[in-house]
Order: sequence, then C-alpha cells, then structure tokens
Amino acid sequence: MSAAEVGAVTANGSLLEVQGLVTRYPVPRGLLGTLRRQEQEHVHAVEGVDFSVGLGEMLALVGESGCGKTTTAQTVMRMVDADAGRILFRGRDISHLTQRQLRPLRREMQIIYQDPYESLDPRYRVRDTVAEPLLIHGIGGKAAERDALVVQALVQAGLEPPELYLDRFPHELSGGQRQRVAIAAAMVLKPKLLLADEPVSMLDVSVRAGILRLLDELRRDGLAIVMITHDLSTAAHFADRIAVMYLGRIVEEGPAKDVVRNPLHPYTKALISVVPKRDPRDSTEPQILKGETPNPIHIPSGCRFHPRCPIAQEECRSIDPELRRPASAKSPEHRAACILA
Amino acid sequence: MDYIVKRTAFAIVTVFVAITLNFVLFRLLPGNAVSGLRCQHCTKQFRESIVKQYGLDKPKLQQYVIYVERLAHGDLGTSIADNRPVWDDIRTPLVNTLPMIVVGTVISIIIGIISGVVAAWRRGTAADSANLWTALAFYAMPTQWIALLVIFYIAIPLGLPASGIESNTLGILSTPSTWAVFSDRVSHLFLPALTLGVGLYGEYSLVVRSSMLETLGEDYVLTARAKGMRNWTIVWKHALRNAMLPLVTLIALSLGSIVAGAIVVEDVFSYPGIGLATIDAISKRDYPVLQGIFLILTMSVIVANYIADLVYFKLDPRVTE
Repeated sequence: MSAAEVGAVTANGSLLEVQGLVTRYPVPRGLLGTLRRQEQEHVHAVEGVDFSVGLGEMLALVGESGCGKTTTAQTVMRMVDADAGRILFRGRDISHLTQRQLRPLRREMQIIYQDPYESLDPRYRVRDTVAEPLLIHGIGGKAAERDALVVQALVQAGLEPPELYLDRFPHELSGGQRQRVAIAAAMVLKPKLLLADEPVSMLDVSVRAGILRLLDELRRDGLAIVMITHDLSTAAHFADRIAVMYLGRIVEEGPAKDVVRNPLHPYTKALISVVPKRDPRDSTEPQILKGETPNPIHIPSGCRFHPRCPIAQEECRSIDPELRRPASAKSPEHRAACILA
Repeated sequence: MDYIVKRTAFAIVTVFVAITLNFVLFRLLPGNAVSGLRCQHCTKQFRESIVKQYGLDKPKLQQYVIYVERLAHGDLGTSIADNRPVWDDIRTPLVNTLPMIVVGTVISIIIGIISGVVAAWRRGTAADSANLWTALAFYAMPTQWIALLVIFYIAIPLGLPASGIESNTLGILSTPSTWAVFSDRVSHLFLPALTLGVGLYGEYSLVVRSSMLETLGEDYVLTARAKGMRNWTIVWKHALRNAMLPLVTLIALSLGSIVAGAIVVEDVFSYPGIGLATIDAISKRDYPVLQGIFLILTMSVIVANYIADLVYFKLDPRVTE
C-alpha cells in the first residue's frame, strides 16, 4: 500500500464508510389499492446501517436470510438507490452521483455474487468474461495487452494454467472454478473494494475453503473486502471484523474475535450457540430463538428484536437502542445495540 | 459436430414422414381423381383409361413407390385442372409469395423485438402495459380483419395499391424501366407484408418481453451493471442475446402460421401468391397441385426448423451437450 493510497481514504482511515443507510422497497398496492388511496407501505430492508471498512481489511456482514445484507451491498454498489444516509467512498459521498458519474468509480469497487452459475453469461468464454470490464473502462488498448491482463487475473484467482481456462464456456467449469472466474473478472480492474455477496454459499463444502483462502490472500494484498455471509463460523475464521445484522439494522459490531468469544447482543449469542461445535463432547445447549423473523414491512416497536428476545424486558418494547459500547465490552471497538448488554 | 449430424438426420426423417403423410392423406379421401371428374358423357372405358393413365389401378404401395421415385426426380405430377406440370403451376405464385413473407416476417421481428425490449426494460410502467395490450390485441385479431383495417386506414388515405401484384397501367405506353417495375412491385407488396407483420408481431413481442424479463433478472446482467456497463450495451450484449433463444424457435415454428396468414392476406389483397393458388386449387379440387403446395410448405417448415436448430447451435454454446 503506497502512501498516496492511504491518503485517499477517509479521515478515520477507512476506504468505505456507510452512515445511516436506509433502503426501502415500496410494496406494490395493486390497482384497487391505488384507487382506494391505501397508504403506500414499504419493506424496510435496510434501516439505518453504519459501518466502515479499510484497505487490507475484511468486514463480515452476518445475518439470517432477509435481514438486509444483500440490499446493503446492492445499495453500496448503487445498484439500488438509498432512501437516506451517506456512502463515503474514499471520503466522497457517492450516494447521489448519477450513473454516469459513478462509472469511473465502478473500476475501484467490484462485487461478486452468490451464485456463480448465474453470474456468468453462458454465451461468453472465460476470456471474454474477464476481458469485458477492461473493454468497458477502456483499459489495455491492444488485444495482446488485454490478454496479458486477463491471464494475470486468472492466475491471481488461482486458475492455473490460465491457457486451460481461457477458451472455456461457463458450463464447462465447476462451481468453484466459475466463482474464481467471477473473482478474476472483478480483480482484473484492480479494485480497492470488493463486495462478496455470500461468495461460497452455493458451492460444495470441499471448494469453499479454497475460495475463502483466495479472498483472504487478496485482503492481505491490500484489498478491502465486505463479505456477506450467514455463516458465522466462516466470518469468525476469515474476517477482521464482524457486523451482525437483524431486520435491516446492525445489532452488534466489533473485532471478529470479540464478537465470537464475547457476544453482547442476545441475537448474536443465539447465533453463536447454534454453530456446530468442533468438540462433540461440548454440551452447551443450542439456544433456538422462538418465533419467526418479523415481517420487514411492520418492524416491531422499540428494540426490533424484543418479540424473540429471551431476556427482553418491559422497556425493550419502547426503547430503540442505538449501537454503542456497553460496559461489558472488552475492546473499545466492540459495540452492541442492546440496553441490557 | 455430433449435434449437426443428429439434426440433419432428424430433418431427413421428418421430410420422409411428411412425404408419406402427404401421400396417405389424399388417398384416405373417398373417391379418386377420376371420380372427381364431373363429366356425364364419359364412358366406363374412358374412366378406366384415365385411371390407368394416372396409375391409380396399381396397388397403393406401388403407387407410393412411384410417387417417391417421381419426387426424387423433382416431378410433382400433373395438374388435373390444366394438365400442366404442377411445378409450373406453383412456381410463379411461390416466387410472388416469398418476398412478401420475408418482408412481413422481418417487419414482425423488428417491431416485436423493439417493443418487447422496451416493455421489459420499462416493466410495470404505462409503456409496458400499453405495449402488452396492443400486442395482445393484434395477436388476437384475425389477419383478414387486420388486412381490411390496413386497406381502410392506410391504403386509401395514402393512396397505396391494395390489390394485385402490379399496376395494370404499367407498361401500356412504353416498356417500363427495371426500377419502375421494381418500385411498383414493392408498393404492391408492402401492405400485404405489413398486414402479415402486424398480425405476427404481437406473439413475438410478448415472448421477447417475458424472455427479456428473465435475462434482465439474471446475475450476469447485475454483474455487467456493477462493472459499469451502459444500460443499452447490457441490453444488447447480455440480455437480448440470451433472450433471443426462445424467439428463434418461435419464428421457425410459426412459419406454418405465417403461411396460413399469407393465405388470407393474399385473398384479401388479391395477391397472386401461393395462398391464392391454394384457394384456387381447392375450389377446382385440383389434388395434385394441392399435394404439391402442401409438400413445398411442409418442406419449408422443416427446413426453417433445421436452420433454427443450427442457429441455436451458434447462439447457445451449451447446446452441444
């Protein structure tokens, strides 16, 4: 990492800083509803999320399905428009830039998706898929130059020897190889930030470790990574910091070790209790949460977790706790949104 | 390679089945070409001589062998109505129809793709529903009625020719130039082709729309957007190309209905094509000509499907599997 690059990040040293992000999806009312002037309802996918990530750092965004992890990533990438909040990339608020203004920035922030069977165009050879970002951004003028960059990206993504893969179609590759192609197509632009939306959840367990190690290597080389996952053990193993999301809000955030060893929020505690134990003699009781995740159209009052919380008290119904450092936290960066923590 | 061989073999088998059906179907009808002859003074001997002349006294299997043998030599038989070789009777109508069908299909594909893409891109908006209803309406309209509307609202106000294939006055005073003949033909061809195109486009538009909605929701489209690709480039390079696959099949399959449409369109516009020839042959009970027309139409549908299969092979790398 050069000094110039460090200088380009925000004041507190992070490359990406998200402040008070809110993304809502309108619920279709139908013709009758519109005519009756029914109130427009929204799915509150993301409700005030703050986080930041620096160069060479991996932040894991953990939470169950429907908690807003993917929407957060989509909003940060400006694939979906935020309703409120700021997205600071290199200290510049990109939440209101037009798509045209965003285009040069896209070179520096890339995303890889969950399902490598869908994220590659079936009609494109590996060579074309990986070269496409270069063409979009007009990098590597001559074909030979582009080819060299493509080969370099494939090697970086662990597809060796690259000649073996260049002219293949996605359907001729395994899931893990496809995800590596997707990573190569993202890394060929040499981005500063990589959002990985559940990069291994569609892959066989046997190839997951390989992909995660690859992401880990990229992080060591100075890439900022936001990894979205519902697998807390993956996050604990690879991430520097973990942010736990519940119903569109981050309920606990801190260094990975602290969050896993000393969880403060009852939701995090429940999540950790159900992670399969390495030692079969370990007899700690898994703590199964009661009830379903509430409908994100009607978020519960007060603390959004209180209807399912095993330790909820009366005031939890009315007080919406903010993310702060509780007294029981061992590290200064460890924060939780719970009045009882 | 394997795929091409398989498709070719499949097409050849289909052709044989079509030829056989074409033979059997007309023999299943009660009576034969001779009993269809309406002459009161014909003697028994005369009828028998004609039966012999057409080879109808031979066993059916032998007739079939002779039929196939003649076909192999390009001989479609002889018209009962005018005693000319069938091929001579249907060649000119075929040559007249072909450009009309091609232009009509191209019109329908262009309108269908453009409207389908716009509707999918602007999904849920007024433009989308407007297109949906228009496409459905044209899809549902009988082609002959569209033809009448075209005559009333386009041909008459614009003064475009609405019947025949060339102006009667052309060439009366002097030999017309090639260009004059060409533009005259085109102006006569345009309205029937437009009618055909408008009648067909609805189906294509709906298919393009739904297939585009599918590809636009694919992650590789999202990926392209995240990489900073321009919207219309995404539509062109990723979404539309993958959405074209169902359309290719549909166009090949709908060649049959295109021909059916051509029959009524040609009837309304008195366009001397294969449709009008079919109607003429039916009214004269000219079975050999009908048989010839049917054969050529089935063959062209089979060939179109064969070409579609090969195009598919080009468009979708996964087809080889």
